[in-house]
Amino acid sequence: MTPHIQIQGLTIAYEKPREGGTFVAVADLELDVPRGTFVTIVGPSGCGKSSVLLAVAGLTAPSAGRVLVDGRVVTGPGRDRAMVFQEFALMPWRTVVENVRFGLELQRWRGEDLTSRAHRYVELVGLHGFEHYRPHQLSGGMRQRVGIARALAVDPEILLLDEPFGALDAQTREAMGDELLRIWERNRKTALFVTHSIDEAIFLGDTVVVMSKGPGRIVDTIAVDLPRPRAIEVMDTEPFVECRRRIRAGLAGETSRA
Amino acid sequence: MAQGFSPAYEVLPGRATVGVAAVALFLAVWELAPRLGIVDPFFTSLPSRVLLAGVEVASAGTLAHDAAVSLTEFVTGFALALAVAVPLGLLLGAFPILRDLIDPPVMALYATPQLALLPIFVLWLGIGMGSKIAVVFLGAAIPIVVNTMAGVRQVDRALVLAARSFCATRRDVFVRVILPASLPAVMIGIRLGVSRAILGVVVAEMYVSQDGIGNQIMRLGSAFRVDRLLVYVLLVSAFGLAMTTLVRKMEERVA
Repeated sequence: MTPHIQIQGLTIAYEKPREGGTFVAVADLELDVPRGTFVTIVGPSGCGKSSVLLAVAGLTAPSAGRVLVDGRVVTGPGRDRAMVFQEFALMPWRTVVENVRFGLELQRWRGEDLTSRAHRYVELVGLHGFEHYRPHQLSGGMRQRVGIARALAVDPEILLLDEPFGALDAQTREAMGDELLRIWERNRKTALFVTHSIDEAIFLGDTVVVMSKGPGRIVDTIAVDLPRPRAIEVMDTEPFVECRRRIRAGLAGETSRA
Repeated sequence: MAQGFSPAYEVLPGRATVGVAAVALFLAVWELAPRLGIVDPFFTSLPSRVLLAGVEVASAGTLAHDAAVSLTEFVTGFALALAVAVPLGLLLGAFPILRDLIDPPVMALYATPQLALLPIFVLWLGIGMGSKIAVVFLGAAIPIVVNTMAGVRQVDRALVLAARSFCATRRDVFVRVILPASLPAVMIGIRLGVSRAILGVVVAEMYVSQDGIGNQIMRLGSAFRVDRLLVYVLLVSAFGLAMTTLVRKMEERVA
């Protein structure tokens, strides 16, 4: 069975306009993501994990190597992939419903009333009653729910989440993680979730990919053997703690070089 | 009486009432001070005389004529400015290369006192409406271009990235992200342009003109007809206030 996502020899280098030369964000990365799995990528700031996500999304071209989705090379954005952003990236002049419609409009969805479809996804993420609010009237957690609704509305096969809870406070993060799993359980799309929170990575993922920086590469891949659905209490269990130890060890070996 | 409201709430007047009272007080002082001999009405006139003068020039038709001339110059110049400056600003914002080319002369023009170019416009377009329209055009176009350009440049890159992630074409990005995101900045440019345009038309008419409000202001000033002079000045103020309020309302709707 072909993995849903195959990352082969991925290298991403950016030019440094001021100092000259190139900054290698990711070097020769190899990763296979099976269909329907929730894979989290954890690593320190600057380890290139967001760049990996952008490459899968087709928003950044690899400097070397390639990304395959269902065996086909990724050359740009596609209807099969949708992204959720750390800074929400909602259009401030659009209401909640209009923001959720945004992807549908861009992808020229036909044969269905876009507004009713958008309404369904607003309900799904628990924002019933806030359809006509503007982003500035919402809390951070609510804005990210809109971002998630927008991504789900286009029915992608792959969900890409770039530190989606990074801009939220600790308690909202936990609650949102719970919410996200609840929503994900419904149809178990393939998900790639980037974070720098170790606990978040273990709690959410079927597999945790640990990345180092300078330049970014994978130092460990850990299968998370905890049953679903997961409650917050699972974070106190031995398997969870063991994962955490292993990830910390993997990161410690690298961050001491930072 | 509602429970919990302090008695003072019933006593303090609302903001509108205070505003009206302030104007009424000002008019009262303006009317009474000359009558009581505190100031010489030759220099200040009085509201009653200004009102009378207003009735005179209105019924004689001169008010309507000069107002029409100035208004035509303003509207023509401003409409031209909008038609040219908004697209130009969008282009310059979107294409950095064009910006490097055109930025220096634009910034130089922005820094130049509007009326410094009037003699050139008169040379090119004569002392009729043409030179005034040109002053209005330049006065309004420059801030509109500069602010529109800035509006495009400061569009949040994350919004563009998000649109692209949903397969937006370049045209989609421009129409569905860049344009609505720059609209508040465009409105700021328009608001600045309006005040420069009004200034431009009135002062240009004061210097070189056959008619128009500025022209009348100049004549009446030289003739020491302060009462009639103030009629025109108040007219310009009222127009400026109306326009600025209009633009602010539009800004609120857009932001």
